[in-house]
Amino acid sequence: MIGKGLIDGLVVTAKNFVGSYFDGDRKDRMFTYQYPEERMKLPENSRAFPFLVYDGTPDKMRCTACKICEIECPPQCIYIVMERDEKGKPLTRPKVFDIDLSVCMQCGICVEVCPFESIKMDCDFEMSRYGRFEPLQAHLPDLLKSNEYYHQIKSAEATAVDAGLKAEADKKAAKKAATPPPPPPPKPVATPAEIRAEEEKRAWQTGYQAPLGTGAIVWPPVKEKKKPVEAKPQAVEAKPEQSAGDAPWHDSGLDLAQRMEMAKDRSLADKLMAAMAQTDCSACGFDCRGYADALASGATKDLTLCVPGEDATKNMLENLLKEAGKL
Amino acid sequence: MSATGIIETQTLEVSLGPQHPSTHGVFRMDVVLDGEYVVKLKPVMGYLHRNHEQIGEKIAWLANMPYTDRLDYFCSMTNNWAYALAVEKMAGIKVPERAEYIRVIMAELTRLLNHACGIGFLLSDCGAWFTPVLYGLRERELILDFFETVSGARMMCNYMRFGGVRVDLDDQMLAMARNIVARWPKFLDEFEKLMTENEVLLARTQRVGILPRELAINASISGPMARASGVEYDIRKVDKYGVYDRFDFRVPVGETGDVFDRFMIRILEMREAVKILEQALSDIPAGPFIAPEVKLRNFKVPAGDGYGRIEAPKGELGFYLVSEGGTKAYRYHVRPPSFINLTILEDMCLGHKVADAVIILGSVDIVLGEVDR
Repeated sequence: MIGKGLIDGLVVTAKNFVGSYFDGDRKDRMFTYQYPEERMKLPENSRAFPFLVYDGTPDKMRCTACKICEIECPPQCIYIVMERDEKGKPLTRPKVFDIDLSVCMQCGICVEVCPFESIKMDCDFEMSRYGRFEPLQAHLPDLLKSNEYYHQIKSAEATAVDAGLKAEADKKAAKKAATPPPPPPPKPVATPAEIRAEEEKRAWQTGYQAPLGTGAIVWPPVKEKKKPVEAKPQAVEAKPEQSAGDAPWHDSGLDLAQRMEMAKDRSLADKLMAAMAQTDCSACGFDCRGYADALASGATKDLTLCVPGEDATKNMLENLLKEAGKL
Repeated sequence: MSATGIIETQTLEVSLGPQHPSTHGVFRMDVVLDGEYVVKLKPVMGYLHRNHEQIGEKIAWLANMPYTDRLDYFCSMTNNWAYALAVEKMAGIKVPERAEYIRVIMAELTRLLNHACGIGFLLSDCGAWFTPVLYGLRERELILDFFETVSGARMMCNYMRFGGVRVDLDDQMLAMARNIVARWPKFLDEFEKLMTENEVLLARTQRVGILPRELAINASISGPMARASGVEYDIRKVDKYGVYDRFDFRVPVGETGDVFDRFMIRILEMREAVKILEQALSDIPAGPFIAPEVKLRNFKVPAGDGYGRIEAPKGELGFYLVSEGGTKAYRYHVRPPSFINLTILEDMCLGHKVADAVIILGSVDIVLGEVDR
């Protein structure tokens, strides 16, 4: 019969029309939330824009300004400048942390790559502003939110993060407690041959320095006093494979070329350290000195760990290690 | 009036779009009309061009993943999967079994939501103004809620990762998915009762916009469009990517290739997708949901090239990638199904009325985010 399909369709529409008044509670037909008055509970994974977590007070932020999120951000909407003290030493916390909310695409990759559990996704989606430019720039004070707030919006995730951070801190503390004074290296038992060699060396040194002690050759006494002063820098140069205590290049404001110039006469470990980004961000798991020492000693082989230094550092490390024949 | 007494008519050029409600976004058809009949049709694209492929060559492999969400913004899950598949092929990453099942679940749910909306919009174009599409959107809302619970975003999911997925499905989420799948056949029955026997719809869509089988093959049409024309070609069956060889499902194939066939094919595909989902949700194994060896940062792909393709809801979605061994793609190319399906629009529309051209375009099921990239 012609028109049967039409009437069947109208029956369906009528059922839905009436049903939408009675199948309430969002079970079958009626899903609408009357938005400004009524809000649906967002699922915990829900993500809007990123924010920075701090523990306790805002100055105890977890962010170390390592710039990993800045580098990995797909639309490049993050801008970070590290805080420095008056001498210019990096303080491993951000001075400027801006997120351009008009560019951010809420993908959450910054959260995934952050090694410090510092940047997290907020659930606040009501971001209407009176303007396109400055009102949509989120600066550091706007971004900082407490850990309690994080627990409030995403309790399960925040609890897991806290547990992970605590486990890590405990591990570090246990490591520190287990080795409070670094145990002195056990004195190796010297073999007779070594003892003999040592004695020969000493005898040779005594012989070399003997004229100084006899007083036979020393004529002007003033010169004699100066000699040990001159000998000091020689003592440093005598051990080229160890890193020196000072590091004039430890300043992330310098360029790579300047830093390498400063370290050009130093040991391999120093040169390696000068190639780092000098932020001590600990993204590699060490500070800059520690990573350089680990590379020099061969404890680490991965050259890509220095995130703030990007490819320039990686290439420089590769060149240095190749020159030293360690690669 | 001419001397012979026959009315002489002039052809009329009409620019349909880019701000026309029937063109599904910023698509434009330059139509030449003789009276009401289409004598020439030129698709004009590029209003939504965003430099997607160039961006893909400038940023890291992983950082491009959220950009693929924005290709076909209805089906971000399948876009993610196709891209991940191409990169995994090149890097030789083995995906854990659970992740493969999760991917199948997500892709089939995407197919459900895409077809539910696609045929809804098609019916809107036919003049069933917004009642059917709202039924489709209502059901889609449940899937979007599920996607938000799992991945954090309703549409821009950014859910797949190289070697797996980002978040595991817990029991609660699986129950949510089972709930949706259990509900879907009921919706389909209701929807079919609402529309498929409707005499007005049959009169509007049957024998309209016929795409012959040979032309469909020659123009490399894929997806429901090709299957409606009788081409039995489904990449889930042909390539058996993921774990699709483990599921029992059929590929519906049409006969005439008209608009009505394309409409029905989508409904039948939804029924098959429900079957796949039921099997996947009951067999999903325990285990890791992402390959542990894949690095998040500094991820590198060995030099070479690779083409990953999947059966996206709209057709064959492929990513052709070339790597030089670095952290970025050297060349990045997308084969978008709706763009290639659009190329035969003129052949289907010639000789039909303007109103039919609108529903033929609706039956192609395009998303301009993917057409223009």
